[in-house]
Amino acid sequence: MAAPDGQVVVAQELTKVYGSGETAVVALDGVSTAFERDRFTAIMGPSGSGKSTLMHILAGLDTPTAGTVTLDGVDITHLDDGELTKLRRDKLGFVFQFFNLLPVLTAEENLVLPLSIAGRKPEEAWVDQLIRTVGLEERRTHRPAELSGGQQQRVAVARALVSKPAVVFADEPTGNLDSKASEDVLDLLRRAVDEFRQTVVMVTHDPAAAAHADRLITLRDGKIVQDGAPGGADDVIELMKQLD
Amino acid sequence: MTRLSVKSLWARKVRAFATSLAVILGVAFIAGSYVLTDTIFAAFDEIFTESLQGTSVVITAQNPVEQESGEVATVPRAYLPKVRGVAGVKQAAGAIFTPGGFFDEENDAIGTKFAPKFISSTLPEGLESLTYVEGKKPEGPGEASLDKSAAESAGLELGDTLKIVGAGKVVPFKLVGLTQLGQASFGGASIAQVSLPVAQALTHKRGRFDQISVAAESGVAEAALKRRIEKVLPLSARVETAKENAARGSEEIRDNLGFLQTILLVFGYVAVLVGAFIIFNTFSITVAQRVAEFGVLRTLGASRRQILGSVLLEAGVIGLIGGIVGIAGGFVIALGLRALFAAIGADLPTTSLVLESRTVIVSFVVAFVVTFLSALVPAWRSTRVPPIAALHGFTPTVSRGRRVVFVALAALLAAIGVAFVVAGLAGGGGISGRAARIGGGGIAVVVAVSLFSPSLVRPLADVAGRPLQWVRGLTGRLARENSKRNPGRTAVTAAALMISLALVTFVTVFASGLKSSVAQVIEENFAGGLVIENTDGFSPIPAGAAFAAAKVPGVKSVATIRGAEAKVVGPGNTVKVNGPSPNIEEGVEIEWLKGGPAKLRHLRDDEAIVSDDFANENNLEVGDTFELLSQSEVHSKLRVAGEFESKVGVFGDVLVTQQVMADAFKQRQDTTDFVILEPGADAEKVQAILTLGADRAFPTAEVLNQGELREEREAQIDQIVRLFYLLLALAVIISLIGVVNTLGLSVYERTRELGMLRAIGMSRRQVRTMIRYEAVITALIGAILGLALGVVFAALIAQPLKQEGFTLSYPVGTLIGILVLAALAGVVAAIIPARRASRLDVLESLQYE
Repeated sequence: MAAPDGQVVVAQELTKVYGSGETAVVALDGVSTAFERDRFTAIMGPSGSGKSTLMHILAGLDTPTAGTVTLDGVDITHLDDGELTKLRRDKLGFVFQFFNLLPVLTAEENLVLPLSIAGRKPEEAWVDQLIRTVGLEERRTHRPAELSGGQQQRVAVARALVSKPAVVFADEPTGNLDSKASEDVLDLLRRAVDEFRQTVVMVTHDPAAAAHADRLITLRDGKIVQDGAPGGADDVIELMKQLD
Repeated sequence: MTRLSVKSLWARKVRAFATSLAVILGVAFIAGSYVLTDTIFAAFDEIFTESLQGTSVVITAQNPVEQESGEVATVPRAYLPKVRGVAGVKQAAGAIFTPGGFFDEENDAIGTKFAPKFISSTLPEGLESLTYVEGKKPEGPGEASLDKSAAESAGLELGDTLKIVGAGKVVPFKLVGLTQLGQASFGGASIAQVSLPVAQALTHKRGRFDQISVAAESGVAEAALKRRIEKVLPLSARVETAKENAARGSEEIRDNLGFLQTILLVFGYVAVLVGAFIIFNTFSITVAQRVAEFGVLRTLGASRRQILGSVLLEAGVIGLIGGIVGIAGGFVIALGLRALFAAIGADLPTTSLVLESRTVIVSFVVAFVVTFLSALVPAWRSTRVPPIAALHGFTPTVSRGRRVVFVALAALLAAIGVAFVVAGLAGGGGISGRAARIGGGGIAVVVAVSLFSPSLVRPLADVAGRPLQWVRGLTGRLARENSKRNPGRTAVTAAALMISLALVTFVTVFASGLKSSVAQVIEENFAGGLVIENTDGFSPIPAGAAFAAAKVPGVKSVATIRGAEAKVVGPGNTVKVNGPSPNIEEGVEIEWLKGGPAKLRHLRDDEAIVSDDFANENNLEVGDTFELLSQSEVHSKLRVAGEFESKVGVFGDVLVTQQVMADAFKQRQDTTDFVILEPGADAEKVQAILTLGADRAFPTAEVLNQGELREEREAQIDQIVRLFYLLLALAVIISLIGVVNTLGLSVYERTRELGMLRAIGMSRRQVRTMIRYEAVITALIGAILGLALGVVFAALIAQPLKQEGFTLSYPVGTLIGILVLAALAGVVAAIIPARRASRLDVLESLQYE
């Protein structure tokens, strides 16, 4: 269940240090933030700013050196592998930049994969709705190799939504797509928030992508340097310029 | 480039070692087979040399017809004074050295079942080669000595009773001495010594010797003395210097045990063939995975030849490791095989392990040639990588046209293979030529099926995978799909297993057919009665046993059969001659083609009854005559008086009277006695009395009823089958290493995919299950193909044996068992790759390139 104040993910004083001694690199330096339900947040920042590290820790894929992450009311920083697996299965959805789909399964099988893994029966109406939303009614039984990059990524987004997770994390979801396909994928994420009341956290380096979000967090040198509405793409580009 | 190859191998050293292991095991087995047999031969050489200490010249009888029983012809006592009269002879003495049986006070056999036991006569000082380490030399009746190691393992001490069976009844002796032959070890063999007259009496060789040993006066050359002795003896005497005699002994051992070396080597080469598949597959996969690397090298200006060279150099290093570690492993294998043979009662004499230069050369050549040939195609493929692959990755695709060529090639190869097998079976040429044709044809068929198997992978993966999918849902489904993902890879991995399991299946089906055929023969022929035979199942039983058995109440009569090998004068081939008692048909049925029981009952000493095969081979009709030569060089002219249907091993080729058997063939001991009971007699009671009597008087004989006889024969077959299974286990293990290797490489290749699956909620256990099932499916594909091939081969080879009474039977239960074991083996093979896959760090895997 969501925290009473509607915050799905809460990060407190997150610090991540790679290595030790003189060669130690501080990737995150005491980051605290929270993500509210039904919102689309973009995280941006130059290379090495810590944006990916932040997302990995928020999603339980990496552990912080210090600080805590509370996801849907549960402190996830001290869970073991089994508990993390269950958390990912039940509460999280993921969209990655590459290699998102299993080449041996059809589009529809890929879409319902999280439910199959959990041994749950997919709700037919819900799956149909998702397939309609991503516009692949005609391609349900096609294998990924027979789909375009954009179509594949749309299946991946639908897959992230199929288990109605508490939050969807997207890591550079448009990084490997042309602009038309990117636009489709971002639209889809937007609709997930607006129509399906989902919560989406997206890491990106594309200002145009960030412009689709409700909120933009900008990191630099492991610290949050800006947090607010993104405005249009041009505003984001302007913002990035100021940071560089 | 050289440094690059070495570095790239070093970077993947675990994989390189696993790949080497595929060569190492096969090479180790080949090296081990040579080391073991060379060691055995060296040990025999040592025994022969040691036992001729002090002897200059040896006189034995010419042995024109070799006997299956190993018995040799004897020389008459009359030779001795003639030899003693030759100038330069310092000393000459006759000696006995004949197989027998040893028992302790409680009639428990001394020495293992198949180990040879020899009754030997003492020789005078100077010619005696045995040293007495305890007690004294036996003199006169009632005294015997035994070799120390046999006495020790039987727990016998000086003063204990040692019972010896020669050609007749058991005789008790007092153990008065323990002997040793230099430092030589006999393995499981044992020697008991008694005085010469006692030895002659025991072995029924009164007035005869197995050999005469001669010592030369000092200053007389052995060769010169030999020539002088030859002049005073007839041509039927074989006069040899001690050196020649030892050399002949060595040679005979090499001939007799050569089959052991051949059989072991065959298993070794099967293992190497399986290993070749593994190496081919591993190189194919690593080349495919390193496409980007080759692309970069090409953009940097590396030539195709350099790329080819670097991959082949890697193969060379693997071959080198295979050779070195293989030879070292050969010593371990040799020790293991020795223990294995000892465990089934065939202790072979040994000395310290012998490494001949031939072993080293063969091991290295095999290791290099196999790795090189197996890596050649993948290496060539690596040269086809265009520089652009550095940017995009590149998958060499097999075009449709190429696929058709492949299938056509496979079909052609299969046809050639089958033709060879059929030609081999149909006969013509020597046994080794036929075996080579059958073996070569078999390999061709196996390679053909392997070439064709990528097309079989999809359907078979569905057959094997669907049940898993029903049970396990998604993980089963993914395992099935993954195994079909790269059919060529799965096919080669499965083909390696197919080869070993085809052989396992062949042995299983063939042995089962053999057992049911034997059971049928026994059931049809030995109706009801009891059978007396040697406890080892093939040596003759002591004379007098039949006579004693006939006097037991409840026994109506005893039919006996005696046998020896003879040469057919003219064609010169060796045939089995048997001398049945006139009443033989009361015990065993003969299927008459010409003539009948009356003919046999009244057979004359110049007549013979022959098998149809023998008659056909020698163009003989009833009334025709032919001539046989016996071991003791007696020629017998025999007229064909009848013809019978050949039956598995009961009557051999020629039947003669027992008188001829005794006069011409010097055989007075029965091979088998058939005890015919009085109507209404209590078979169990009669058997109990006979067994008791045999234990007391003829402990090398045992009494069996029909069921026991069948069990005995089946047990013999089973023992050989078990031995074959153990030897084939090596090939199975190598093919499982292939499964481990392929699966490991696939996991490595699919790292990112596995990371994704874990990220969206797949548990470690589910990942393990998925990989495990993939291994099970691969193993089952191999098992299904192997079972099919094995059954087809067994059926093919059984075809020409049908006339000889061989019927094939399919042990369905065992075959299903093989399938289940293959699946379990898949589970075992998956342990390491599955563990690796489940332990992958999710985040690292996702970022993996």
